[in-house]
Amino acid sequence: MFNREPNIDIVFRNGLKDLEVLPPSDVWDNIPPMPVRRSLLRTVTSIAAGIAALVSLALVAGWYLRSNETGTQLAELTIPSGDQQAVTVISSPTDDVEVIAAPPVPADAAVTAPRDLNEGIAAGLSVVRDDQQPLLAGLTDSGRESEASLPFSSDEITVITAGRLTGAGKTAMPELASVSTRGQGQRFMVGASLSPSMGLSPQGQSVRLAELMNSEKARPSYTTGLTFGYRISDRLTIHSGIGLASLGQTISDVDVFAGLSDFYAVKSNYLYSVETASGMIRAGNTDLYLTGAGNRVGSLVQGADPSKYNLTQVGSEIRQVFRYLELPLLLRYKVIDGRMGLNLSGGVAYGLLVDNTAYTGQGSDMVRVGHTEGVNPYNFSSQLGLGMEYSISTNISFNLEPVLRYYMTPLSDISGALYKPYSLGIYSGLFFKF
Amino acid sequence: MQKEKDIIDGCLSGSRRDQELLYRRYAPKLYAVCLQYAGNTEEARDVLQEGFIKIYDNLSRYNHEGSFEGWMRRIIVNTSLERYRSRYYLSRVDDIEDVPEPEAEPDTSDFAGLEAYDLLNMIMELPPKYRMVFNLYAIEGYSHKEIGEMLGISEGTSKSNLSRARYILQKKVVLLTGVTRKMVNV
Repeated sequence: MFNREPNIDIVFRNGLKDLEVLPPSDVWDNIPPMPVRRSLLRTVTSIAAGIAALVSLALVAGWYLRSNETGTQLAELTIPSGDQQAVTVISSPTDDVEVIAAPPVPADAAVTAPRDLNEGIAAGLSVVRDDQQPLLAGLTDSGRESEASLPFSSDEITVITAGRLTGAGKTAMPELASVSTRGQGQRFMVGASLSPSMGLSPQGQSVRLAELMNSEKARPSYTTGLTFGYRISDRLTIHSGIGLASLGQTISDVDVFAGLSDFYAVKSNYLYSVETASGMIRAGNTDLYLTGAGNRVGSLVQGADPSKYNLTQVGSEIRQVFRYLELPLLLRYKVIDGRMGLNLSGGVAYGLLVDNTAYTGQGSDMVRVGHTEGVNPYNFSSQLGLGMEYSISTNISFNLEPVLRYYMTPLSDISGALYKPYSLGIYSGLFFKF
Repeated sequence: MQKEKDIIDGCLSGSRRDQELLYRRYAPKLYAVCLQYAGNTEEARDVLQEGFIKIYDNLSRYNHEGSFEGWMRRIIVNTSLERYRSRYYLSRVDDIEDVPEPEAEPDTSDFAGLEAYDLLNMIMELPPKYRMVFNLYAIEGYSHKEIGEMLGISEGTSKSNLSRARYILQKKVVLLTGVTRKMVNV
């Protein structure tokens, strides 16, 4: 970069190299406290949640557009009365619309059809069978449209699910419902899910664990992620995917003060430790002074009494947060198969610890305390759920299931006592089938 | 003395004490840089304050490779440039002035007794456009092409401004030291 180095440049460069000027004293006062950085994981979590929300919105938007499309098709539906009756069958949104010319139907033909539109939709294509209704063979096999011209009896009209169908002789079907609720080829599904849950802590299995857990409370937790499914049979589906599970607890009998580094020179990576049911918190933030009841807090401070210093209290509890990247494997069985179905689900999930943080403070003024030692870097959990599945359309369904989750591997091993939390939550997911 | 990395980690964990420690340790050097670019103390203090807010905001991006002080200095310089651009962009004069090239360069050895504060004052007294170009070229080591892109001026204008700045500074140096110009080989 220096093509030419006149000496005047060197004079100034060297002369100013180590220059220091004391800034006005009030500059520091006008610099706001640095916000606590959101960890990369939290950022990733936010992005994942955003993506999940976008996927959900896209699915809903897709469903809405398809619904409108179907509405347009219905509006265009006209069945002229007369000698030749044209029956237009609007298939499911994913299928092509096919027009089948039908011969005249005797006026006295008994025509039955569901009066209720919803009933008609629910009846769906499942009642359409090629061998019994050649008229509608074209519904699933366009190559066989010619069969539609075959004579048919008035009974065959019953397979057409319509909103109103009062008689063949004067038939004009102004409203004709979709004839399918489930595409036969839809074996895969993808969706976004969210399971808020409330953590529950089992009773301590040792005296010390029980003592610690007296002042610990499980925090609300959640699991979110993207789910992929494969329909093994009409009723059985296998699900997997990737998700993020967050759980933690609050330790309420620890007071935290800031400003210790003004008075005490740090000689180690941490000064305080806090014993919890999930492991030992090492307070890596050496600016903090921790004190608590029940011999929970250990200290490495020597030759000083921080309680006599003029410190600022920044918290009266410590929150532990553990986040796991989860790979679930679930089976979902349709106990009741219908538009509003009932599912029984069960499976396991492998979790890999990706975030382990302990912090204190309130609102947005959070202070990182440190991390918890002794936490298992992975876990296995099992879950069991029973809930409803609502088919919004042929392709989209919504699940809502109360789920009980139990961690088979302990969060940590403290004093030989295995600590295995469990949680009760609501699994909600939106799935797109294809 | 607390290690630089410990202070950074402390800042990232939200310790106000470490944030202040970082400020106290580096603010004097960075304030000198601010004065070099700003030209007056009011502007310099604003740049320092704004620069430190940016330093804290971007601290998590510092990857501990390279000089931390250099990283902070770049933020301060960029902050100065932003303020300069916002203030002088519309009113700048890009015309290449007829600047007489210095006939000779003073021998630097004769200026050994110059105080850093004297040099700083000389730079601060330069017109803003000359000061910016001189700082970026002579102190930071940017090329005229880079300076042109940074300030939104042509390479020719950058060269012209540099020559003018050198001319003015040389006169000031000579005036201050009383050193008679000597012909030197550059």
